[in-house]
Amino acid sequence: MAGETFAPSNVNALRSFGFVIRIGRMLFGTPGNAVLSIVFLAAIGSVLPGLIRWAVLDAVFWPLAPAACRNATGACWSFLIAKSGQLLFGIYPPMERWRPALVCVLILGLLAASVRPQFWRPALALVWLALITTVLTLMAGGVLGLREVPTASWGGLPITLMLTVLAIGVAFPLSIILALARRSGHVAISALSTLFIEAIRGLPLLSLLLVASIMLPLFLPDWMVPDKFVRALVALTLFAAAYLAEIIRGGLQSLPRGQEEAAKSLGLDYWRTQQKVILPQAIRMVIPALANTIIVMVKNTSLVLVVGLFDLISSGKAALADPDWPSPAAETYLFIGAIYFVLAFGIARFADFLESR
Amino acid sequence: MLRSTKSRAIAIQVLLVAAVLCFTGLIILSTAENLRAKNLPFGFDFLTMPSRFVISESLLIYRTQDPYYWAAIVGVANTLFVSALVALLSTVCGLLVGVGRLSGNPLVAGSCRVWVEIARNTPPIVLLIFLYSMWWQVLPPVNQALNPAPGVYLSMRGLMTPGLALGFSVTGLLCLALAPALAIAAIRWRTARWPLLSAAAVALLAATQLTHATISWPIFKRSNFVGGFELTPELTTVVLGLTLYTTGFIAEIVRAGVQSVSRGQWEAAGSLGLRRGQILRLVIIPQMLRAIMPSMTSQYINVVKNSTLAIAVGYPDFLSVMGTVINKSSHAIEGVMIILGVYLALNLTLSSLLNWYNRRIALVER
Repeated sequence: MAGETFAPSNVNALRSFGFVIRIGRMLFGTPGNAVLSIVFLAAIGSVLPGLIRWAVLDAVFWPLAPAACRNATGACWSFLIAKSGQLLFGIYPPMERWRPALVCVLILGLLAASVRPQFWRPALALVWLALITTVLTLMAGGVLGLREVPTASWGGLPITLMLTVLAIGVAFPLSIILALARRSGHVAISALSTLFIEAIRGLPLLSLLLVASIMLPLFLPDWMVPDKFVRALVALTLFAAAYLAEIIRGGLQSLPRGQEEAAKSLGLDYWRTQQKVILPQAIRMVIPALANTIIVMVKNTSLVLVVGLFDLISSGKAALADPDWPSPAAETYLFIGAIYFVLAFGIARFADFLESR
Repeated sequence: MLRSTKSRAIAIQVLLVAAVLCFTGLIILSTAENLRAKNLPFGFDFLTMPSRFVISESLLIYRTQDPYYWAAIVGVANTLFVSALVALLSTVCGLLVGVGRLSGNPLVAGSCRVWVEIARNTPPIVLLIFLYSMWWQVLPPVNQALNPAPGVYLSMRGLMTPGLALGFSVTGLLCLALAPALAIAAIRWRTARWPLLSAAAVALLAATQLTHATISWPIFKRSNFVGGFELTPELTTVVLGLTLYTTGFIAEIVRAGVQSVSRGQWEAAGSLGLRRGQILRLVIIPQMLRAIMPSMTSQYINVVKNSTLAIAVGYPDFLSVMGTVINKSSHAIEGVMIILGVYLALNLTLSSLLNWYNRRIALVER
């Protein structure tokens, strides 16, 4: 009806007017809402202009020279551009930086590919195993004409990604054994597993990392003492295993008893029952929770800086220590926070997507 | 057949226990060997020796000539202080942000969403280091301190707030003992409405204390503040950063809790003529509390665990104090045993207290 009396452009105008009215009603519909909106608008209005001036208008993007930043009142993004190699790859030899860069691309690429349910086959585990071998070879070198780089010079984003992937990769099979052991009818086995899980879950990760870095050299004979990277990896793996075990136990508990009885009546033994019938269903149940744990682990790798590993934060601190540049700490930590945010947020959205399916 | 499975099960368990014992024994032997080679004695005697190191700030009084065990206790007090502040503040903020996310006002819901997403997807240690780096970039020197509210000053040196100078008296101490007793009695016999009674007891305590206590206001004299309660940049950063972080998680728990209360409850309360605020306060939140208590328990335990991140900005919590103790005394194994024991004890105590509370508020179905 409206179409007969109004020209099409007027209809559009009316529609957008309706939209404005709807937004207006949402924001100012009731006195309480109006007060809230005004308070929030005032708060945003008082912060946003200053923020934009700092981050964009007065900020220095170019040239990549310290002098420009010294005179600027805004953010010094040119520092991040000039130092990006050091920030991302730490003290890895600059000539060899293509290796950690390739490592990051490989890990992120396979992570993105593993997200697709059509790739969820046993072969995927083999691909991951191959990837981990490749990644470690690339980073360490010493073979195939690659220069040898000791783990003490590894740093930045590859450390974060490798620690996450390795810790979860080793912890996952371990956690399945722990979860099965905790539910086992054998008293000694379930007691040992429960003791391990509860002790690890009762402790802060930071204390575990410190314990691993202080105690492993004391526990082991000299020739067996691992380097810092492996020590941190041990602590992260045990931590992840305890949390993953509880999640998988949740999945196991959610299955009806009939599944196990049915498998048994088909003549399958315990291990075959778990492998073919119980675990596939239990793990499928808890995929969202597993994704959550992966996010937690990505964030947790940031703690390795306290045991002297050269992760993103330490690289940032090292870059800031350059006396030639004014040290733009806020920009650097924003950048590092943004990297973690993108990783964690990406995984979280994936988990939501899985949950909705 | 039954006997054979049974005996096999026993054999497996005996083997496993033996393997674990062997492994532990090997580690103990190897450790003893390492300690002997490095000429490090084992024993807890060192705890009574003077510590001779500085703890930059503490809730309890600490001097460098105090023994190691007192340094450890001072560290525990700092950890508990930070955790309690963070738990309290993030519960309040989490309730507001969680309810805010469900608001019909897109501005409010959007802002709360941004907070939650940033908090949940950034490592808390990055948050802490970022905030700590801001102190010297953003805040003015102490003689030009910001004064956002009367008696509150914010500058590079930290945050000054009005403090309570407590004067302990006999009546005050009596009241201190009486208030929990009253509260327990009220809970035990459920005579009247126990929250009311215990609140009255606390109010009584506050009143008697206040007659002996004076509020001390921070006053700027020459180059620094005198009086008031001082929160150093380190403490403020840890409390602020961990509160921002934990609020994100509590807000999500609260949101899920509010959504778990069925629509019918809203409609029923609405049909009784209650307003939105009243419905939330009288009908929804009490039911939500029941649903969210187990998740909140694990969040509060996480707060205690996350307080170890204070090490990143140099606030002396228990872990960082023990790190210094281990460095100074070179009693690493004893130090680590104390660290593990204390955190396990703290978390187990906290979780059993909260579980007890959870059982109390749980719905009793007949």
